[in-house]
Amino acid sequence: MQDHTTEQELKDRLSLIESMIAEGRRKTEGWGWTFVLWGVAYYLAMAWSAWGHGVWAWPVTMSIAAIVTVVVSFSKTGNHPETTLGRAIGSIWIALGISMFLLFLALGLSGRLTDQHLFLALVSAILGMANGASALILRWKVQFACAVGWWVTAVATCFGTAAQSLMVFLVAIFLCQIVFGIYGMIADARERNRRGLVHA
Amino acid sequence: MPDLPELNPVVHGRLRLALLSLLSGVEGAEFTWLRAKTEATDGNLGAQLLKLEEAGYVAVEKKFVLRKPQTLYRITKSGRHALTEYVQALKQLLGPAIDG
Repeated sequence: MQDHTTEQELKDRLSLIESMIAEGRRKTEGWGWTFVLWGVAYYLAMAWSAWGHGVWAWPVTMSIAAIVTVVVSFSKTGNHPETTLGRAIGSIWIALGISMFLLFLALGLSGRLTDQHLFLALVSAILGMANGASALILRWKVQFACAVGWWVTAVATCFGTAAQSLMVFLVAIFLCQIVFGIYGMIADARERNRRGLVHA
Repeated sequence: MPDLPELNPVVHGRLRLALLSLLSGVEGAEFTWLRAKTEATDGNLGAQLLKLEEAGYVAVEKKFVLRKPQTLYRITKSGRHALTEYVQALKQLLGPAIDG
């Protein structure tokens, strides 16, 4: 053993290395807020739409949510390191955003977005696809449960009355967006508190 | 009795070791992210990163994102090699005590 280094110090160094490597590879990385934001945005768009401004409700609400997401993400860039995993997950959500924006904008402008069942099923299926891909990459069971929830919603919204399909969709938003987002935020906060200080 | 390995003094510093370990798990990281993870002060963090950079263990890239300056740190090949050697030396020094 080296003269001035105790065995305990060496063990501390090993555990420091392990904890720091794990820190760099953390899964959640504080993205829970985006799920909550978009969950609330869906609710607002639906409420606004039901209030009688169907043409503007979705594009305006979704655009504002997208702008808030981009602005807050850029302001938090320093808190997210570059990783292959991070880029893969980010790519899924960016591709989802572009796909949904283009598809629903085109459907809305062409006047073909008239079937509520189809609209809800499409949104649910796309969200199921994104959550499923992300969960499989991250091997994150909780997110996979959300993906299953969205797939079930996609099927369920094809049946029943308009009110029933809407109710199913609202429940899915609550569970798979808002509750999941809050869970992610709590998990992230717990992880942060668990880490100790590192001094030179 | 076999010779015990020497621990690399550049890597051995607690904050420098934490920084190299953090950077080994990512492609690159911002100064602010490293500060948040280590909870070190700006001055101390900057000084330790400079030592790692001077040793050739860390590469620095400065760029502008949305007109804001950003400093990105990456672990170099020799930095990764030094960290691996350090871990091997640690394990050798600890020997059977490693599971204790």
